[in-house]
Amino acid sequence: MQDAGIRERVANTIVHVLKVDADLVDSDKRIREDLGSDSLDSVTLVMALEDEFGGSINDNDAKSLTTVGDVVGYISRRVEEKSLV
Amino acid sequence: MSRRRVVVTGIGMISPLGTSAGECWSAMLEGRSQVAAIPPAWKRYTETASTIWAPLPAIDWLAHGFSRVDQMQLDTSGMLTIAASAEAIRDAGIEASSVDPKKNTFRLAVPAPDRCGVFMGTGVGGVTSFFGNAVNHVVSPLKTVVADPSVLPPMPPRFNPFGVPAMMPNAVSALLGIHWSLYGPNLTYAQACAAGTVAVGHAFRAIATGDVDFALCGGAEYLGDPYGGIFRGFDIARTLVAAGDDPQQANRPFDRDRSGFLFAEGGAAVLVCEEAEAARRRGARAYAEIVGYAETFDGHSIMSIEPSGTRIVDMIGAAVRDAGCVPGDIDYVNTHGTGTTVNDEIESAVIDQIFGSKPFVNATKSLTGHCIGASGGIEAAVTALSLAHQTAHACHNLEHPIRDLRFVREAGPCRIDTAITQSFAFGGHNAAVVMKRID
Repeated sequence: MQDAGIRERVANTIVHVLKVDADLVDSDKRIREDLGSDSLDSVTLVMALEDEFGGSINDNDAKSLTTVGDVVGYISRRVEEKSLV
Repeated sequence: MSRRRVVVTGIGMISPLGTSAGECWSAMLEGRSQVAAIPPAWKRYTETASTIWAPLPAIDWLAHGFSRVDQMQLDTSGMLTIAASAEAIRDAGIEASSVDPKKNTFRLAVPAPDRCGVFMGTGVGGVTSFFGNAVNHVVSPLKTVVADPSVLPPMPPRFNPFGVPAMMPNAVSALLGIHWSLYGPNLTYAQACAAGTVAVGHAFRAIATGDVDFALCGGAEYLGDPYGGIFRGFDIARTLVAAGDDPQQANRPFDRDRSGFLFAEGGAAVLVCEEAEAARRRGARAYAEIVGYAETFDGHSIMSIEPSGTRIVDMIGAAVRDAGCVPGDIDYVNTHGTGTTVNDEIESAVIDQIFGSKPFVNATKSLTGHCIGASGGIEAAVTALSLAHQTAHACHNLEHPIRDLRFVREAGPCRIDTAITQSFAFGGHNAAVVMKRID
């Protein structure tokens, strides 16, 4: 189950890092193609998510996350497992 | 091409004395230094002979325009540099317009950004970021194998993927070129404690010879690693001040009872320098004119100043000649003045030999502590402020001068037409900038 609070925190982090309009950050949006994230932005986004949720996101996991929904799902799962705060 | 005139039109500064040039200058005139016990956490790793330092004030990085993400990506030396440059640019009355909000970049209202240079000095660049990543790299694997992870040293929560750009010393210059969209020469000078002075001198030369019309120049340093490892490096070299009975009076350059320099957490000073005619046309206010620069090298020792001071004498003589002056024209000497036994002995003898007791002699480090690669920039800024305001701070804590020179004993009005600011560095680098009052 996805927590609305987690969705909001992920969206805020994406808005903050990618400087995109909050209205654009829907679940089906692709972070690279639709939200304009380049490779440096992607590294920054992972770092910002680690900072926001207090834990470590490994490279393989990070590479598998394509859409905003993927990120929310992944973070929700990790929070549920208590491997993120 | 005849040499063009160069003026200082903007100053930005962060030091242990304050987070703006105004705060720092006021503290200097009021004789308020910043001395504190070193962080208790450092004592976990070793006992040091020196136990005091000059910490920076708390800095609200968000208020300086650095988001949490910026703060994760940048070394503190880089943030100090950008923040000081923003103050200097505002102070110079130059408009900045946003270019890319995501990258936090701006364009300055200057005629030709490709004729604007950046010349910054730093001793060790982003060494604290290197420290953090190195500790994370080495200690993280131990977390799963030691019985009690709480015995491990604290470390950054992640191996910073921006560790390389945070660490590289040229970041202090590159960040300014990126942040302000300046496309001319972008250079970093690493002459340790003389780096800032060398940077200002080279900016002066680049404008004077016509290579650029405008420059951001100065120095930046951040030395407050969480483990005290950088402090220990200076401490074990026996360069740092002893706390004594009264730590507030321990830092006393040129005093009989001096014992070493006061290690500063860091700082940055950025000067806006412009070709004088261009500055006049845009109606800029100028603090001072830079009129001369010279540098020499001791060729003697990687860690100690050459005892005869011969190359320093040569350097000061060349700087004064470069300014079209003779030694008798110099009214004010902003010394390297660290408070170490050897530096102050040799420097005071050199000043006596060249200038005698005519000029005012001052040691800004008596108030700021030693900001290493930032110190030359800070002292160039202080010299420009002293010329503009015809006012000098005092040589703090000086009670028993080691030589009969005209040390500034009390802050206050001070007639200065021509001033020199000089720095000497580990390695053997000597450099000085000469400035004149604006008529």
